[in-house]
Amino acid sequence: MTTMTTVSARGTVQVENLTQIHRSGERTTHALDNISFTIPAGKFVSVVGPSGCGKSSLLMLLVGLAQSTSGELRVAGRPVAGPDPARIGVVFQEANLFPWLTARKNVEFPLMIRNMSVKERETKARDALELVGLDEFGDRYPHELSGGMRQRVSIARGIVQDPDVLMMDEPFAALDEQTRMVMGDELLRIWERTGKTVVFVTHSLTEAIYLSDHVLVLSARPGRIIDRIDIDLPRPRTFELTSSAEFIQIRNRIWEQIRTA
Amino acid sequence: MVCPTAKTTRRIIVLILLACWELLPRLGVIPSLFLPPLTLTAAALFSEFSVYWQHLLVTLQEVGAALFFACGGGILCGMLLGSSTRLRRLLLPVVSSAYAIPLVVLYPLFTAWFGIGMQSKVVFASVYGFLPTLLGAAAGIQTIDRSLMMTARSMGASPVQQIRYVLLPATMPTVLSSLRIGGALVIVGVVVSEMLTSTAGIGFLISRYRTMLDSPRVFAAILLVLMLAILFDLLVQFAERRFTGWKKNVPAKTFP
Amino acid sequence: MALFAIPDWVVRSALVVGFLAVWELGSRTGMVDPRLLPAASTVIGTALSLLETAAFRAHLWTTIAQTMAAFIIAVPVGAILGLLIAERPYASEVLKPLVFFVFSIPKSIFLPMFILAFGIGFGQKVAFGVFSAIFIMMMTAFAAVESVKREHLMVARAMGASFIQTLRSVYAPSMAPVLLEAVRLAMIFNFTGILLAEMYASRSGVGNQMGLWGQNFMIDRLLAGILIVSVLAILFNEVVRALETRLEHWR
Ligand SMILES: Nc1ncnc2c1ncn2[C@@H]1O[C@H](COP(=O)(O)OP(=O)(O)OP(=O)(O)O)[C@@H](O)[C@H]1O
Ligand SMILES: [Mg+2]
Repeated sequence: MTTMTTVSARGTVQVENLTQIHRSGERTTHALDNISFTIPAGKFVSVVGPSGCGKSSLLMLLVGLAQSTSGELRVAGRPVAGPDPARIGVVFQEANLFPWLTARKNVEFPLMIRNMSVKERETKARDALELVGLDEFGDRYPHELSGGMRQRVSIARGIVQDPDVLMMDEPFAALDEQTRMVMGDELLRIWERTGKTVVFVTHSLTEAIYLSDHVLVLSARPGRIIDRIDIDLPRPRTFELTSSAEFIQIRNRIWEQIRTA
Repeated sequence: MVCPTAKTTRRIIVLILLACWELLPRLGVIPSLFLPPLTLTAAALFSEFSVYWQHLLVTLQEVGAALFFACGGGILCGMLLGSSTRLRRLLLPVVSSAYAIPLVVLYPLFTAWFGIGMQSKVVFASVYGFLPTLLGAAAGIQTIDRSLMMTARSMGASPVQQIRYVLLPATMPTVLSSLRIGGALVIVGVVVSEMLTSTAGIGFLISRYRTMLDSPRVFAAILLVLMLAILFDLLVQFAERRFTGWKKNVPAKTFP
Repeated sequence: MALFAIPDWVVRSALVVGFLAVWELGSRTGMVDPRLLPAASTVIGTALSLLETAAFRAHLWTTIAQTMAAFIIAVPVGAILGLLIAERPYASEVLKPLVFFVFSIPKSIFLPMFILAFGIGFGQKVAFGVFSAIFIMMMTAFAAVESVKREHLMVARAMGASFIQTLRSVYAPSMAPVLLEAVRLAMIFNFTGILLAEMYASRSGVGNQMGLWGQNFMIDRLLAGILIVSVLAILFNEVVRALETRLEHWR
């Protein structure tokens, strides 16, 4: 039972022959090697792979915060030249909230950057905070919130920009196991209600399978796509599912690939 | 024995000290030349207020100018130094060594160069306050989270918006705490140089009354400088609470 | 890019040499008035010849003797007072704010009171030097006590360590670096205080000489004096810093 509201073709992500070589001083690091994939609009796609294989590098490219060495990258058919928050929103591994702003003002920040009227911005921020269950904490400063709450504010800030695609780089990595599960469910709820495309980088195979429609598996550095797995498990997904035979089978398959790649 | 709360004890101690200030010189335990009684000092301050005021204005002008150079320059250079790893590694050891030099010995040079008017005081106080301000700013700028700039960029903030909405608020605590360090030193620098050679200013009054062995007036002038220093600190403290209240660690109070 | 490959100390030395070269050339070519800024070589020459005159050496000795006397009093007294206060919770709650207050008010402006009380001799200079340095010593002693980890103390006590053993094995190693830092800062404050007192009112000492040279526009000597004082201060500073790094290694 998937209740997709407005899935627009604007959320399509296309990546062709993407290569990224980092240069710092004399040293070069080959982070991504000739990556190609397409994500249909409205899908939830996870990217997994060993540490240091270039997942974050890929995301920085997708978001327009870095320049690729070669290759093409299109969102909604148009190339990504730089940050374009109306098309692409991003949630980082750390919440990265501005400590001098309250939760509400943090969520309003991207709207202020766009010169949206105060009224409109307040309404949208309230809705976004409500969506992550923090409507009562709008006036708190980041240091007055727990780690999980901060991350939720950060997600609200990503959502409030109403991008077609939401890119998330290990958004739950700093959280404990329990909060992580709860946040995952919340993210799914939000995703189902908004119909956005989500690209979700994670270390946790369980999390990737639990959340996604597709899982992209990257090899060790230089990152290459070694598999793309469709997860046909029914939605809404429940915790029990994670111990089902099918689930475990998929997880073992991915694990085997990462281990031997 | 039950101890009263720390605050009460502290107040009692302060009261006893004030009482001693009044009584010890009166009873002749301490020569009143060294410590004039509290009431005499206060009386001197009030009876001579117009003279003090006139010289205080001179001092304030010098402090203002020196504050501009010491803190403006110190904060700017400190930020530059703090934001470049290479520069920091290169120059910080030099700056820390230079910090050991007793800068008072520069003052005679400045009077020879710039005369005994306001200029030499402003130059000396600027130099006096510069290095600590620089070190403070350099340390502060390093604590700024670079990923915040990236976050703003990911939201499409223009360079001007990044500076206005991220860099400025993020550097505010550093700027204020540097101002606090530098301001205190600038005030000392101005007054000390006035004490050494000058024709006007509170420091000049201190020295003039000293040669006249008029210790109540000397002490009254010293009190005035103390009040100036405390007032400045309270002002910056107010600004810190106003602009950096979001910080977890509220700045330590210098003057409780 | 090439600049980044050069080792730090080379660049640093180059900076110093460059600074001296600009100074020398500026003065020699008359770009700056050599009467206001004599050439670097002249100043170094003056400094060396000053060090050879008996009169200046006597002044230098006075200054050093006063500084050392004040240092020898201020450092242990300040440290012990600070430790005594910091070790007692009630005393520290009552007294720390007061000490902090006195630490943060400018102390140089009290110099005239020292003259009114002690005259302008050796004792007055030493007293003012102690007054200038003792509070930073107390403040850092507070910090030193805080740097001792409660758990380490507890472990030591649990193992039945005696007071002296605890002092040697727990207090000393944790507090030594902090206290050395305090010694370094105390010397800076102390030296500044002594020189200021000499410049303000005195009959001898380097500070007194420099005040006179300033009034008589003897700029070459002034710069030479600044050079000598700076070298002394930096030398002491670097020795203590070297000790600090040594201690860090031992820990
Ligand atoms: N700006 C950069 N300059 C130089 N090298 C970089 C840069 N960013 C990343 N790298 C290198 O590129 C490689 C890939 O890094 P990346 O952060 O993309 O990995 P990752 O898959 O996100 O790792 P993790 O799972 O640990 O987050 C690493 O070897 C890293 O050292
Ligand atoms: Mg990463």
